[in-house]
Amino acid sequence: MFTELNSILNSTPDSFTKGEFIFVSDRQSDASFLIHHFLSFYLRARCKVCFLGLVQSFSHYCAISQRLGVSLAQAKEKGQLIFLEGLKESLSILIPQEGHTENQAMDFLRDPTVGLRSLYKFVQSSLNSSSSGEDGTEEWGPSVLLVDDISVLLSLGVSARAVLDFSHYCKATVCSQLQGNMVMLVRCDGEDEGDDGDDEGSELLLRGLTHQCSLTLHVQGLPTGYCRDIHGQVEVCWRRRQGDGQHTQKKLFQYKVHDKGASFFARGTSSAVL
Amino acid sequence: MLSELLQGTDTGGFLVIQDSSSCTGRHLLKSFINAALNREENIHVLGFEVSEEELGEGLNTSAPQRLHFHNAYSDPLGWTDHLTFTVHQFCLDELTHLVKQTSQSKPATLVIDSLSWILRHQSPPAVCKTLQQLKRGGAVRAIIGLLHADMHQKGTVGSVCHLATSVITVAPGMKGDEAVAKITKRSKSGKVMQYEEIFSIKDDLTVIVQSKPSHLEHKQTDPEEQQMDPTAHLTFNLRLSDTERKAKEKLALPFVFSKEKKTALLHSGQGSGRILYEPDANDDYDQEDPDDDLDV
Repeated sequence: MFTELNSILNSTPDSFTKGEFIFVSDRQSDASFLIHHFLSFYLRARCKVCFLGLVQSFSHYCAISQRLGVSLAQAKEKGQLIFLEGLKESLSILIPQEGHTENQAMDFLRDPTVGLRSLYKFVQSSLNSSSSGEDGTEEWGPSVLLVDDISVLLSLGVSARAVLDFSHYCKATVCSQLQGNMVMLVRCDGEDEGDDGDDEGSELLLRGLTHQCSLTLHVQGLPTGYCRDIHGQVEVCWRRRQGDGQHTQKKLFQYKVHDKGASFFARGTSSAVL
Repeated sequence: MLSELLQGTDTGGFLVIQDSSSCTGRHLLKSFINAALNREENIHVLGFEVSEEELGEGLNTSAPQRLHFHNAYSDPLGWTDHLTFTVHQFCLDELTHLVKQTSQSKPATLVIDSLSWILRHQSPPAVCKTLQQLKRGGAVRAIIGLLHADMHQKGTVGSVCHLATSVITVAPGMKGDEAVAKITKRSKSGKVMQYEEIFSIKDDLTVIVQSKPSHLEHKQTDPEEQQMDPTAHLTFNLRLSDTERKAKEKLALPFVFSKEKKTALLHSGQGSGRILYEPDANDDYDQEDPDDDLDV
């Protein structure tokens, strides 16, 4: 959890806006440090978290979260964290073995044109079981869905349309029905293609998710190139109308990732400069 | 022009609000809904993209029976078997049935949020056909649709906007609060007018037009720049006095073929050699001059 980012987003583990869809994107940069921030943030806020980790193993997230002060293994045991390890589960579909049941959630690997309905059902069932209130289980806060990252589904053959449908359904369930939050990461490569309006591609997914979300965080490298002390810039854009009647409000920050966190500062105020 | 459009479209009118990811058009759509509610019209909203709560924020709720929200947000594809409006129900019969279910005396205004959602799941020709049938049929009085122009190919956007009687394209403005609206209005006589206005929307969804609308009919040509005098501001003199100019004009240039030179060449002077030609028996002597037609 990065305290500076909390103050930028005006949220603490005790009080944060509910029903938000936070869209994290990057272009020729790596925004996964923000996913680690949100994961540790929501676990600290005692929320029930469903994490679709499609690109890294569970141990990877465990190691990083430990440096941020949160134990994923413990959260998983207590039932606070439901982790879908995409890399491992995909093997159950690609190399079916005797005695191992397939995970229905990864059905789209067998036929990408079918869409992500079973993945959505997995999300729905894992987050809905929280409100049953069985004996022995603790009461957790609002449900949170984290996806890292959703653009990898495009490489697996799923169309951008299907991914947008999936994110719509997740938003309808998690944000509107359960009044929880949702964080999705999309990684783009290359320059902005302009308004091609092409049916495939991460650009269409990027634009579609921008329309759906209420808060975007766009990470890019510095336009001037590599710098040792500043790793890049983050543009934060609030899409929902704020109380004081403003339209989309944008702010630009620069950041540096450390071993145990990341620091955010206004442009030109890096400690290396001042 | 924006205020005129807010005061109500004519019967059979189809208004498209185009937006992009950098500037959302939903606030303007809500202003239109609010303005229609204030005029005591019946509104049917097909809500695909946002929930009823989010769309209803800020709307005039004094007469809830006039605003009918059809929930197409929770389950538009039928994944969870809820009995809500699905995207496959977007056709003339279903929509007419939907609107007539809550029939009141006046035909209703149909608001679609958003057309992009429908275009993602139905082919553009089918959507255009349904919209055209709705326009012509009597079930709805007017249609207002939100379209995300950057989510489709230009041809699709163009086809849908071609059906519209008015198109408002929203773009971010200079200041944070403001947005620029480019309006194209087609009147019944076929005349197309274009306007560009800067507007902002207050909390109670009233639209304030910041600047006077500029009526763009054709591109304005810039006034020609003043010809600069090249002989001014020099350290040497490039100008000619009158006598110098006359002498210059009299001068015969060496390689220009003028009349005097022509006559001098054609009629050789005295004392120069003359060429006498007597045709031989073998020569084919033609009296006609083959070079007669040359204009030399």
